[in-house]
Amino acid sequence: MSILQSAVREIALNLHSRPGARLITLLMVALAFIVFDTFLIISWNLESIMDKEESLVGMEVFLQREISTNEGRVVGDLISSMSGVQSVYFVSPQEAEALFRAELPGRTDLLDVMGNDFRLPASLQIIFTEEAMSQGRISDLSRQIGAIAGVEDAVYGEDYLPGLLKTVTTIRRLVILLGIVLVSSISLVVFYTVRLSVVRRSLTVDIMRIVGAPWWFIRVPFVIEGVLMGIAGSAGGLAMAAILSEVLSTAVTHRFMPMSWMTLVILLGAVTGTVGALAGSYEKER
Amino acid sequence: MLVTMTGVRLSYGRWPALDKINLEIRQGEFLVISGPSGAGKTTLLRLIWMGDKPDSGIVEVAGFRSDRIKRRELPQLRRKIGIVFQDFRLLHSRTIFDNVALPLQVTGAGNRIVQKRVISLLARMGLSHRRNSFPHELSGGEQQRVAIARAMVAHPFILLADEPTGNLDPEVSREVVELLLEINRGGTTVVMATHDPRQVPAGKGRFLFLDKGILRGADRWTELDQDS
Repeated sequence: MSILQSAVREIALNLHSRPGARLITLLMVALAFIVFDTFLIISWNLESIMDKEESLVGMEVFLQREISTNEGRVVGDLISSMSGVQSVYFVSPQEAEALFRAELPGRTDLLDVMGNDFRLPASLQIIFTEEAMSQGRISDLSRQIGAIAGVEDAVYGEDYLPGLLKTVTTIRRLVILLGIVLVSSISLVVFYTVRLSVVRRSLTVDIMRIVGAPWWFIRVPFVIEGVLMGIAGSAGGLAMAAILSEVLSTAVTHRFMPMSWMTLVILLGAVTGTVGALAGSYEKER
Repeated sequence: MLVTMTGVRLSYGRWPALDKINLEIRQGEFLVISGPSGAGKTTLLRLIWMGDKPDSGIVEVAGFRSDRIKRRELPQLRRKIGIVFQDFRLLHSRTIFDNVALPLQVTGAGNRIVQKRVISLLARMGLSHRRNSFPHELSGGEQQRVAIARAMVAHPFILLADEPTGNLDPEVSREVVELLLEINRGGTTVVMATHDPRQVPAGKGRFLFLDKGILRGADRWTELDQDS
């Protein structure tokens, strides 16, 4: 039997021994990951909500009454070529009236009072890029658009938009901060859990040392155990979080995290498990 | 000289565990190191298998010097040394055969060699019928014989026995000491640390006495025996 075959045999023996203790370690890792996974699901859904809210923020540009439809579309093209503008939609007077009647059915009498010759002004609905909003360039754009010939007024939520953007930015920063804290704490939990499971088998390491096993022969089985423990624990945590998410889906509408995030969670488990196993075996091998 | 210690001192924290140790161990010798608990017997053996390195002085074992040995060379040295402990230190999830075979397996010895050597040693220790048992199924004496078989399986040139009879009753202790003497008669150097040197018959080995980390020389145990 070559030394490599012996090492493989050691790995197999190591994985077969103490199934009870290993199960407890696995559960601890999985439970730690459930907390992290829940946080990821919440932040993923929060991010989607914030994206949606931001996408609804826009500007309404009212055109002067004497402007024709073609001239209005030219103004629209001019605005859409401006930096920070994502899209421009031209609303004709007829469409504006239809929208008014659809959205405010109880106030249609106002239109009737104005007489048959009255027409709502044509307007342009503008959506800005995320970048433009995050950089607070909306008021500048408003001034530029307001100065274009044919534009009567440019209206946006100047009262609530700065507050909304500030809130969104603050929430994002908090999520990142909380994420860092959670990644650090979960890494420490997995690291110490796996390390402890290795240290618990210090007798094996001691015996390997005194019989003259090379360092890699001692460490490799523990490292493989650590990797498997980290992957299995994080995958188990994901599975439990998925079940929890499914159970709660009827009460709270939400989505589970994307595949790329799940891959990162499993990678985090593998890395922390490996480092914990290495630290445990090194500590005992010294 | 198989083992040479020159001016060796080792402290754990502020307290010296060993001090001013000068010792030579010849090939084929049976050396008994006695002394009370905490005298430094285990530490002395650890210096021989280089589980610890001295703070000052030099330990030389089979050409490996404590001040020059590299970390990657330690396994090579330890493969030439067999070690037996008071608490046996067997792997409880493995069979007796696997426990004894371990030192050969970590060096990548072939299956046929492992089988032959382990079976022959188990027969010599009177444990052939126990080869598929697990350590917890054996008596203390049998477990210690397994530990000795494991220590001897890779043909070491020195066998270190740290209180090998500490957990055994007097009858079994005598058997274990007799086994160590028999191993020594086969040419293997044996260093036995014990708190009770009277276990080894006078004239069967060299006796040294350790007291508070300092080697007090031979025959001290005889004086103690006379005192008592």
